[in-house]
Amino acid sequence: MASNKKYWKSVEELNENSSIVDTLQKNEFVSEIPTDEFLGDKETLEASSTSRRDFLKYVGFATAAASLAACEGPVRSSIPYLNKPDDIIPGQADYYATTMADGFDFASILVKCREGRPIKIEPNRDAKGETNARAQASVLSLYDSYRLQQPVKGEDVKSWSEIDSEILGQLDILARENKKMVLLTGTMASPTASKLIKEFQAKHPSLEHIVYDAVSDSGALDAFEQMYGVRALPNYDFSKAETIVSIGADFIDQWQGSSYESSFIAGRKLNEGKMSRHVQFESVMSLTGANSDKRVPVTPSEQVYVLLSLYNAVVGANVSTKATKVDKAIQQAAVQLKQAGSKAVVVTGIQDKNAQLIAMAINEYLQSTIMDVENYKLLRQGDDKKVASLIEDMNNGKVGALFISNCNPIYTLADSNKFVTGLSKVALSVNFSMQYNETSVNTTYSLATSHYLENWGDIEMKKGNFSLMQPTIKPLFDSRQLEDCLMVWLGKTEKYVDYLKKNWNENILEGRSWNTALHDGYFISNKGTSISKNEVSVSSPAAALLSGVKPAAMELQLYMKTGLGDGQQANNPWLQELPDPITRAAWDNYLTISAHDAKENGLMNRTVDNGALNGSKVNLTVNGVVIENVGVLIQPGQARGSVGLALGYGRTQAMKEEMMVGVNAYKFYQNSSKFQSVTIEKIEGEHKFACEQLQHTIAGRDTILKETSLEEYNDKSLVPAKTWNLMPVVSLKHEETDVTDVDLWESHDRTMGHHFNLSVDLSACTGCGACVIACHAENNVAVVGKHEVRVGRDMHWLRIDRYYSSEISSQKEAKESGMSMGDMYAALERPEENPEVAFQPIMCQHCNHAPCETVCPVAATSHGRQGQNHMAYNRCVGTRYCANNCPYRVRRFNWFRYADNDRFDFNMNDQYGKMVLNPDVVVRSRGVMEKCSMCIQMTQATILQAKKERRKVRKDEFHVACSDACSTNAMVFGDINEEKSPITEMLEDKRSYHLLEEVGTKPNVVYQVKVRNTTEA
Amino acid sequence: MSSHYEAPIRTPLVLGKKSYHDISNDVARPIEGKANKYWYVAFYISLAAMLWGFGAIAYTIGTGIGSWGLNKNIGWAWDITNFVWWVGIGHAGTLISAVLLLFRQKWRMAINRSAEAMTIFAVFQAGLFPIIHMGRPWMGYWVLPMPNQFGTLWINFNSPLLWDVFAISTYLSVSLVFWWTGLLPDFAMIRDRAVKPFQKKIYGLLSFGWSGRAKDWQRFEEVSLVLAGIATPLVLSVHTIVSMDFATSVMPGWHSTIFPPYFVAGAIFSGFAMVQTLLGIMRKVSSLENYITRLHIEYMNMVIMLTGGIVAIAYATEFFIGWYTGSPYENFTYMSVGAATGPYGWAFYSLILFNIALPQLLWFKKVRTSFIWSFIISIIINIGMWFERFDIIAIVLSKGHLPSTWTRFEPTFIDVAIFIGTIGFFGVLFLLYSRTFPVIAQAEVKTIMKSSGQYYKEQRDNKQQD
Repeated sequence: MASNKKYWKSVEELNENSSIVDTLQKNEFVSEIPTDEFLGDKETLEASSTSRRDFLKYVGFATAAASLAACEGPVRSSIPYLNKPDDIIPGQADYYATTMADGFDFASILVKCREGRPIKIEPNRDAKGETNARAQASVLSLYDSYRLQQPVKGEDVKSWSEIDSEILGQLDILARENKKMVLLTGTMASPTASKLIKEFQAKHPSLEHIVYDAVSDSGALDAFEQMYGVRALPNYDFSKAETIVSIGADFIDQWQGSSYESSFIAGRKLNEGKMSRHVQFESVMSLTGANSDKRVPVTPSEQVYVLLSLYNAVVGANVSTKATKVDKAIQQAAVQLKQAGSKAVVVTGIQDKNAQLIAMAINEYLQSTIMDVENYKLLRQGDDKKVASLIEDMNNGKVGALFISNCNPIYTLADSNKFVTGLSKVALSVNFSMQYNETSVNTTYSLATSHYLENWGDIEMKKGNFSLMQPTIKPLFDSRQLEDCLMVWLGKTEKYVDYLKKNWNENILEGRSWNTALHDGYFISNKGTSISKNEVSVSSPAAALLSGVKPAAMELQLYMKTGLGDGQQANNPWLQELPDPITRAAWDNYLTISAHDAKENGLMNRTVDNGALNGSKVNLTVNGVVIENVGVLIQPGQARGSVGLALGYGRTQAMKEEMMVGVNAYKFYQNSSKFQSVTIEKIEGEHKFACEQLQHTIAGRDTILKETSLEEYNDKSLVPAKTWNLMPVVSLKHEETDVTDVDLWESHDRTMGHHFNLSVDLSACTGCGACVIACHAENNVAVVGKHEVRVGRDMHWLRIDRYYSSEISSQKEAKESGMSMGDMYAALERPEENPEVAFQPIMCQHCNHAPCETVCPVAATSHGRQGQNHMAYNRCVGTRYCANNCPYRVRRFNWFRYADNDRFDFNMNDQYGKMVLNPDVVVRSRGVMEKCSMCIQMTQATILQAKKERRKVRKDEFHVACSDACSTNAMVFGDINEEKSPITEMLEDKRSYHLLEEVGTKPNVVYQVKVRNTTEA
Repeated sequence: MSSHYEAPIRTPLVLGKKSYHDISNDVARPIEGKANKYWYVAFYISLAAMLWGFGAIAYTIGTGIGSWGLNKNIGWAWDITNFVWWVGIGHAGTLISAVLLLFRQKWRMAINRSAEAMTIFAVFQAGLFPIIHMGRPWMGYWVLPMPNQFGTLWINFNSPLLWDVFAISTYLSVSLVFWWTGLLPDFAMIRDRAVKPFQKKIYGLLSFGWSGRAKDWQRFEEVSLVLAGIATPLVLSVHTIVSMDFATSVMPGWHSTIFPPYFVAGAIFSGFAMVQTLLGIMRKVSSLENYITRLHIEYMNMVIMLTGGIVAIAYATEFFIGWYTGSPYENFTYMSVGAATGPYGWAFYSLILFNIALPQLLWFKKVRTSFIWSFIISIIINIGMWFERFDIIAIVLSKGHLPSTWTRFEPTFIDVAIFIGTIGFFGVLFLLYSRTFPVIAQAEVKTIMKSSGQYYKEQRDNKQQD
């Protein structure tokens, strides 16, 4: 009911005929505005000093002032905590022990979190965790903006409750029809998840769990199962080995689910004057081959012959094999294996059950203590036969539901078309995935799963070795891990974490504390394991192996590169930009070919005028399957008659455009065999590589990377400084004087406070690249993309130079053989056909007499009391003089603005990717120089912490990102004013030398001479 | 009368039986008259090139130095090459006006004005590069020693780049003052002839109220001499310091003690070549055939031969010492077998051919005194000297200490545009100068008219007979 109330403004309104009210209603202003009063008086107006022009000026000024006031700098709000979480102190990092497990890489890690954001991965040393480049980079995959952010059905975004009801409904229907259901996962190695899946199977008896590894170790698993009764993989302890013979096993990078990098290097005990001897027979130059003492290039089919011949030679058997041109090397290897006896081991990467059986048989014969079958590994569980029959079943319409988790079969299967057609016959297909990947395109549902840093879980890496996975951040997106989905679908109300905890308390922890295990991140069971060996005859497997070999004119070996591995982190810019340790090419896969074969096929590599590498292009055909437009890279050490192609590239779904590089070699991974025969057809055009190193040899400058043999090293009669660790000399007053004794400069007193040094042991560095990624993560190093890397503008603060031995080793040798100067240069610059390889990590050397410091006009780079060469970005005007005058070439210039720039659409250009940035390190602006700071933010934090706690800094307290990431302890960092610390020991080692000593820069980075065990049998 | 010994008469420095008034007319003609078609054509081409270059500079400042062809191992290439090239060109002016003044070389008078103008304009171009090659040119003023609010920050007096800042700015200011001092009587002459009030006012201002009194002349002579004394060491110092950008570094190929004298000789070499080029054009375009004679050309060619010889010896020394050290790090310096056989062999041989081989033609008097040959060789030397700087910078940087860092350089469109732009900018300045400034130091030239040449002797003799 409307109100009849009337409000009045004055008593006058009561009078209906009031003229005042009338006037008020008609006129806005009661009395007329007296315009005449101030405009009518022409005289005064004209007398006014404000002219029309002045008036316009005032208007202009006022407008300008008003609009200027409207211009404000962009406001960047940092919002303080309203209620501070108890466990977060702004500015202080928290570390959580957890476990990386993505089905391909597994590692016990520590996660550094700042303000609730995980920003860096470090190895969990207590749990003997190691991190490779992929593990280090995996934190960035968490912030991948191309992740699937919510569950979807086709194109439609669904809520989890809708998904749950739809799938439960479908499950009911399928149960009634009694259709087969399959859960296809990557290797999970999770005891609790297995238990949960078993519960699920109990409810849905038709569900089968099939494990599928993109890069299969099915043969090794089958072999182990036949020999030891368990479907698992043997573990190896190379640290105790005296002789290692590897036939195509890349155990330093990734082999059978783990890397044996640290264990291998631990076996190179130079302090004791002992080193394991490692012989590698392989086709593609692998990281392991590059680190071997003797590398024998053989084609894939010859790898089989080598294995069989080696078996004959060691065991004294006489299985049929085929002679190869490397039989002498095989005999020598066999002799050394026998000499080492139980401290010898043979490993092989041949992906065939019979080959694996033979390798294990050799080890059994040698009674090798290196191969450990009792603490077997569970990191690969894929079963090729089951996967193959699944695909058959799908095509026959026998499968009613397919749940795919943590694998991408449509990308990784050689015959993915068959899988796709099969999938179309499956009523319910669900892909649990972090991305809307190649498989998601063909499944009904794509359920966003969480990253391992958002998940709960557990891993049993080795028998009895349990690791826990805990979330380090609340899920960024509306995602749910597989286990939680199963919990919901089982009708459980509790969360997976409760289930996990319960399972651990009941079945794993043996009465010990869950909290301790969670804090430590791992738990080792005391229960001993025992395993019984079955007698397996080798003769028939050997015959089968031999008959399975199909030699071809050109054999292809598929391999995995250090950067991308199996390719699931292909959208990770750090990994894409990580140059391959061997070829030093980033952002690509390519056909590796020997120089000889390249010449035969008219293929070439050339350096173009801007310093970039171009190569011929080919089409490849394997069993009728063609891959087009593959770049060709001539690889020294590649066996003649063989070519290599890396898996893991050529992804097309859920990828930023810049990352869609390379070709998908999985198409050639037929029958899960890495060996294929291939035909090569040269096509027109050139492939553009992004290769960071074009000169492959040291060009006779042998003081840069010093090498010696174990014999020389152990020879006490040699003075290192005069022989294998030659100290350069200069003439001073006509006398030979060590360059270190001549100095133009006054030195500061450095005995006060801290003086940091970094030591790099070239004998221990395998070139794996983990430090490079760690440096990226710690120091917010920008990713610049393929083109910029190609033209030599990568921003790596730390790079790992790789050198091949050249055809002649020195100028002296050339003179003796009477070469002309031009020929000599060419011979020095050309790598040998099967070169020795050496790696040399190079970062800022923090010279005490730094050439960069003297030339900067504005003193933007100057020396610190603690030995660091500082770089004040704010002061830098960008003349680049310092970079030109740096003999080590470690300075990196910001050619463009790399953050918030659409031309560089990498992690620093999107809101998620930026979350990985380390708040302690500034993101550099365009036009300034940057370089390794020796992680000054870390050392300063340590010093301040000690100061706050009123104590001295402890001996092992100083860290830098690269040495932290190094699995082999090749890098040691510390304060040399601290007596008897590891760094002072390294400094005083007789292998120590400074890079380019003769320039007189007095670096604070020290290298140790590389020692090879060249002792032949 | 003619019983005493009469010294042989020198070749005349001014031809064409000129009177004083003729000289005034000749010098004032371009200023008072209208420009011809060629001038306009040249001006618009230069202007277009300049604007193109400015556009490229703006693009560089807008997006970053990444628009150039540089990379992590080659931090300088065309930028500093162009800088040193232009600075080198800027050397001839002061040498001609100051050193030759002290040595009483009167032939300098016909060419010193333009040579100095060239110097100043070339130094403008040179000065551009150190600024635009910075990553953050807007912070360029930080290289100046200014009291500041950045705490205790001060410039780094150890840095040769800083020495450059001082050397170049000193050189520019002294050259400018010297040039202007010489211009005063000539401006006054133009002022006195001017009929348009505006022109009269402008030239009045420019001539600083020159009155032509004896006292003016006396002071003029004194100041000229003093400035010549100040400017002479600058001829040596500027390029010495520029060479120290390289010589004080640790790069093999740069770290070389002969760089200072060698660079100075090279600078004079290239500067004279550029003067030769410009005069070859001006002589025709501004009808100065009577003032810039074969004799001038020959004298300059002689200086070119001398400095070119010094440069050649320096190259030989560099080559020999590099080889003689036996150090593998010296194998690929810009003067080495490695450079000759490497990817930059073409640049190496261009340098040898243009800077050493072809200039040897000047030993022939016919070539030396030929206008067209002098012009061609001067251009060849200009190119050769550009290559010298490119070789020193790019070849040395392309093969540093560590073989893993070896790379190459290729200029981008922007690199080329900026270089062409500076040539355009230089052309614009020079063309404007040639229409507004007295291009010949007429006051000085008038003093030498009677000191050489058969014509004036004949005139005197005729007078006596009358």
